[in-house]
Amino acid sequence: MLNALIVVFRESLEAMLVIGVLLAWIARQPEPATLMRGLWLGVAAGIALALALGFATFAAQSQLAGEALEKFQVGMVLFAAALIVQMVLWMHRHGRHMKQELEAQAGRAVGALGIGAVAALAVAREGAETVIFLYGLGLESGGGDRAALLAAGLAGFALAAATGALVARGARFLSYRTLFAASEILLLVIASSLLTAGVDRMIGLDWLPPLLDPVWDSSALLDDGSGAGRLLADFAGYRARPSASLLIAYAAFWAYALWRLGRSASTAAH
Amino acid sequence: MLRAPFVHAVFVMALWFGLGWAVPAQAQTAATEPLVFSVVIKDGRILPARLEVPAGRKLKLAVKNEGPGPSEFENLSLRVEKVLAPGASSFLVIHPLKPGTYRFIDEFHPTTAEMLLIAQ
Repeated sequence: MLNALIVVFRESLEAMLVIGVLLAWIARQPEPATLMRGLWLGVAAGIALALALGFATFAAQSQLAGEALEKFQVGMVLFAAALIVQMVLWMHRHGRHMKQELEAQAGRAVGALGIGAVAALAVAREGAETVIFLYGLGLESGGGDRAALLAAGLAGFALAAATGALVARGARFLSYRTLFAASEILLLVIASSLLTAGVDRMIGLDWLPPLLDPVWDSSALLDDGSGAGRLLADFAGYRARPSASLLIAYAAFWAYALWRLGRSASTAAH
Repeated sequence: MLRAPFVHAVFVMALWFGLGWAVPAQAQTAATEPLVFSVVIKDGRILPARLEVPAGRKLKLAVKNEGPGPSEFENLSLRVEKVLAPGASSFLVIHPLKPGTYRFIDEFHPTTAEMLLIAQ
């Protein structure tokens, strides 16, 4: 039962981080209501997608169906990473003009759609595993255990919510301005972790060669399997033993994202 | 805004697939047929509990989950994981390993399920 609590806690905390960053950004916008609705609709869609993915995993008994599902998941994380980059560029490009942009209904609709889609993908990714795990354990256990399982899952979720609230409260000591500035970078960091997850999956499927593997081993310094290293691995794509392919992808991602950010900043200045 | 994500997705895809093709020579040498080992997950245990494999060879683990529950077969340091519904089977490719012991677990049954992959 402790395991159920831990799994639910970890997965929901990750999804909440993404939602929290988006909330921090929305809070600074002039017309937050539409964006807020987009966010929560996205969260709801994400939960539905997580349920669908979870049950598809149970249904996918054949190797072929399993492979199709795997491809879908790789596509989903890579698409989410690309979408986040696009979102950040959009936020950045409009920077100063965001106020006018969001006062126009079309601007708000685009913003709400983007925010909703990012939230949906984040929730779906984290939620699918939780669904599989809880549903499977529910099948394994009898009636009385099922209630305990549900309680453990809910406790995990509540703990994650409490942790999220604490982090948000702590972050309030930073100014909103700092939070707002950090939200773009945080979103890019999250996108980079999605990308590394996708690359790792593709290496495991043998679609991508790892090239040199590992390039270094920093697991003695900071292990990516537990504690702070695990957190960094999940949120920022840290790897104690990265393959060369992963490093190339990571470097290409940041070079591309920062180049586009720089470019959009300079065009905005004209 | 609507078109741009697709442009990005295409860019990202093109990059990865391009990467894959850009290095065929090296990929070919590493891709000499992988050695296949089968792994069965059953009643919250991974069988065999100890798997000896040659180091420096590409491996393919054919994993089957015989249930009753789902499992998440994984090794964090090798960054491989596979979620399997009961009754489902799949595979994992492990690229050439340095000699050493690699501990695989079923994250859904962390107290009972363990497999040590020993590369030598």
